[in-house]
Amino acid sequence: MENKDVIIIGGGPAGLAAAVQLYKLGITNILILEREKHLGGILRQCIHDGFGLQRFCESLSGPEYAQRFIDEVRELNIPYMTEVTVTEVTAGRKVTAISRRGVMEFQAKAVALTMGCRERTRGAISIPGTRPAGVYTAGVAQSYMNLANIMPGQEVVILGSGDIGLIMARRLTLEGAHVKAVFEVQPYPSGLPRNIEQCLNDYEIPLFLSHTVVDVKGHSRLEGVTVAQVDEQYRPIPGTEQEYNCDTLILSVGLIPENELSLGAGLTLDSRTKGAVVDEDYQTSCTGIFAAGNVLQVHDLVDFVSIEAERMALSIQECFLSSQFGNAEIEIVVDASISYSVPQKTTGKKDFTLSLRPKRPGRNCTVFVKQENVTIARKKFAKVLPAEMIQLAIPAERIDPEKKLEITLI
Amino acid sequence: MRREYTCIICPIGCDMTAEIEDNEMVSLVGNNCAKGRVYVQQELTNPIRTIATSVLVKGGELPLASVRLNKPVPKASLFKVMAEAKKVILLAPVRIGQVALQNVAGTGADLVVTKHVDAIH
Amino acid sequence: MRDNTYDILIIGGGVIGSSVARELSRYRLRIGVLEKELDVACGNSCRNTGMLHAGFTYKPGSLKAECAVEGNREFDQVAQELDIPFKRTGKVVVGFSDEDMQNILRFKRIGELNGVRGLEMIDKAKLNQIDNSAGGEFALYSRDSGILNPMLYNIALAENAHQNGVDFFFDSEVKAIKRQGEHFQVTAGDSVFSSRWIVNCAGMHCVTISEMLGLHGHQVKGFKGEYYVLDKKASQFMNIPVYPAPNAKGGFSTHATPTVDGNILVGPDSYITEDPDDFASTRDHMQGLVKDGSAIFKHMKAEYFIRNFAGTRWKRVDPETGDVLDFLIENRDDHPGVVNLIGIESPGLTCALPIARRVVAKIQEKEVLEVNNDFNPYRKGIVRFAEQSKERKKELIATDPDYGEIVCRCETVTRAEIVQAINNPLGAVTLTGIKNRTRACMGRCQGGYCETRITALIQEQCKVREHEVMYQHKGSGMFIGKVREVLDGE
Repeated sequence: MENKDVIIIGGGPAGLAAAVQLYKLGITNILILEREKHLGGILRQCIHDGFGLQRFCESLSGPEYAQRFIDEVRELNIPYMTEVTVTEVTAGRKVTAISRRGVMEFQAKAVALTMGCRERTRGAISIPGTRPAGVYTAGVAQSYMNLANIMPGQEVVILGSGDIGLIMARRLTLEGAHVKAVFEVQPYPSGLPRNIEQCLNDYEIPLFLSHTVVDVKGHSRLEGVTVAQVDEQYRPIPGTEQEYNCDTLILSVGLIPENELSLGAGLTLDSRTKGAVVDEDYQTSCTGIFAAGNVLQVHDLVDFVSIEAERMALSIQECFLSSQFGNAEIEIVVDASISYSVPQKTTGKKDFTLSLRPKRPGRNCTVFVKQENVTIARKKFAKVLPAEMIQLAIPAERIDPEKKLEITLI
Repeated sequence: MRREYTCIICPIGCDMTAEIEDNEMVSLVGNNCAKGRVYVQQELTNPIRTIATSVLVKGGELPLASVRLNKPVPKASLFKVMAEAKKVILLAPVRIGQVALQNVAGTGADLVVTKHVDAIH
Repeated sequence: MRDNTYDILIIGGGVIGSSVARELSRYRLRIGVLEKELDVACGNSCRNTGMLHAGFTYKPGSLKAECAVEGNREFDQVAQELDIPFKRTGKVVVGFSDEDMQNILRFKRIGELNGVRGLEMIDKAKLNQIDNSAGGEFALYSRDSGILNPMLYNIALAENAHQNGVDFFFDSEVKAIKRQGEHFQVTAGDSVFSSRWIVNCAGMHCVTISEMLGLHGHQVKGFKGEYYVLDKKASQFMNIPVYPAPNAKGGFSTHATPTVDGNILVGPDSYITEDPDDFASTRDHMQGLVKDGSAIFKHMKAEYFIRNFAGTRWKRVDPETGDVLDFLIENRDDHPGVVNLIGIESPGLTCALPIARRVVAKIQEKEVLEVNNDFNPYRKGIVRFAEQSKERKKELIATDPDYGEIVCRCETVTRAEIVQAINNPLGAVTLTGIKNRTRACMGRCQGGYCETRITALIQEQCKVREHEVMYQHKGSGMFIGKVREVLDGE
């Protein structure tokens, strides 16, 4: 059993940023464990540009964005292992990992969970119909096309307007596939407006809001889908069904934090984010286990993933320095206008950034953070979208440790 | 004539409304920064885009290297760029920043590699 | 050239055809199995609950009752011989009302007449002790009921038959059968076979084959049932199959069953279908399962849904009255050389080997079969990394580093297991075949992580190109080709 100060699980954008930051803060007895052959995580297959505008003030592709951090990891000689799969994390921060070289066990002072997220599947949203070949989630199709040099299909229908789905609509079109339409069950798109513009509108791919796939046809390979309009309760409206012949159905219906290891460690998960419940230090319900990036909450921009991971690294350092691992007791609750907040609790002793996602699109809204009738923070937004995370600073000095924080968007 | 635009320059994606007369922008509202104005101006005269794709790599640990245009090209020439990209074959190793194809389809832009691909040992 | 002359040809590589093949391989015979799909276990053998039934709902004296009881009693040994996962969990049939009590007691009596052992009426306290998630005021506890993985059982039977000399032909749909004196000439796929005996194990297509053989007059009726597969996370709430009280006819409405692999199945419901290949899930029935399933399993929630599937049971019916009839295993004197199996549906999985022995007996009525002294009843399954102790895991990786490469994260399936699934005798050539053998892609991410890796392994190990990678059925190509290809002349 090897002892480490910090074991970082996952060498994607969150894990890399956390490692670099920890190292720069003087915490060097660390190790990144990555299951893939290369560092970089999902960015390796996100070959489109638009990454890094916040952080590097230039528009990079995913692999380039990742490489900037990988280069830092290499320059600093930060230890990492690839092709290693972590199979267990205990509440006592024992980490078991498997590789071709054998079974490895580590005892860590702190564990940073940076495993990212996975895609929601057909089964999770109960799409009826047959089970032919040709139904792919957007990320799987992206991996086939951009990493494996494999073309999944020719006549394509996309369900869900998540960003990966939009990006794949353009990618498939550029490679000669015919993307017939994108259907979104919500009355508003779930991807970023710029992606609607440059991935759909540019290629005259129609987007139908309040529509969903109600049947999948084909015995061997997909032959077509039936699409229908839905009402406010997302129920298909009889009589609105339309048939689309296609050999490929791409699903871009949401991302879910990948928390299999977190569950094993017995962490408390938030049923809304599907990630761990954390305090302002990004510490989970298990002392010494931290989480950041898409494993904590699904972000829309990788730049924010990096920032969150760096904040987590800073918190880990502070905990190490003070030998105090916080015990947050002040609850942070959101009302019906907001899908969720991160963190979900705070010690009230530190300034922090609150991330949240509005439930519905809105204009000229203000986020209020209150304790009973006292507003301790507020921020105005010209436009809010569920596709875009909102962040605001919360000053610790104004927090009353006896009362919970209540957040609303008006 | 009033026309709606969604700025694609950054992830904020400002919704902008432009007043247009004789293909000239008379006024613009909704943009949070100056880039929005430049974008609408460009859309009116000659819409430009960058794209990313992949090119074949021979002898590499991966079959493909990702590439992107190093500057935007006219929207109308995107499929010409793709046709050229399909013909490119690079020899591993390839490095980020390496030019895969210069002045692609006569656009003046280069296709630049965006992923390291090591040679197979 | 391949010699396509056989003593016995079995039509269908489902659990029945594979059982018949395995039991016949105990004798010195040249045996072939003709399967229209690319793998065994592609029809209803992979589309059921995986219950090892005890046999308390079937009419006393029927083949169903006789074979179910026989199949249930011997299954510990069968599971051991074939090295397949099996748990004798027991099962509870819960009731609330006097009417439920009447029906349950009736089936307890039937069960006892059928020779089912270990049937016991239990009160609420005992029920809660067995499974506190099971609602109900009282229950019939069936000690001997169990759960197994039906795909692996089918695969194990086929592999065992194959290792004892049986030839399997895939992509070999039977198109014509001609009687030529003492032999049959069978056209299947692109080949012509000759055989002295034909055993019809075509499942839902049994009547089609029966007609080809000239045995007319049989009729089957399709009952389709849909299922939800729930995440392993939901299995913490249930450790034994819980069935509601049967109706007066012995039919069970929607129920919940833990699988031997740790998922929960909710279903099946039941409705008529005309199409033997109708395996589509339908919106109305999915909604019905959510509603009815919630009544019996309170954790029937969307967050646990990982997949849906449907199966069909083709019951033999009286052409005149439409009444459901028993299994039929016939060898008619006016049609020598044919063993015809009609209407083998639930509890076909439990009855598979007993049925197979009855098929063997039918043949033995007509000729003496010479015992194959080389017959080996044992078959080794793929060693599942996930189920091993830490020490054993270390040993496995040391012996074969492929065991250290985890391909499927949700189910912890390693590269070694995938490679074995492909390269074993009767190895998988399709993605579904690999899933059925290893459980890769069967977890909550449904292949989101591992599917790309497995299709790459299929290409590498089977030496096929992108467009030749099949999902399940013939023609189910997963890809259309490469994104970038070296163009001709370059």
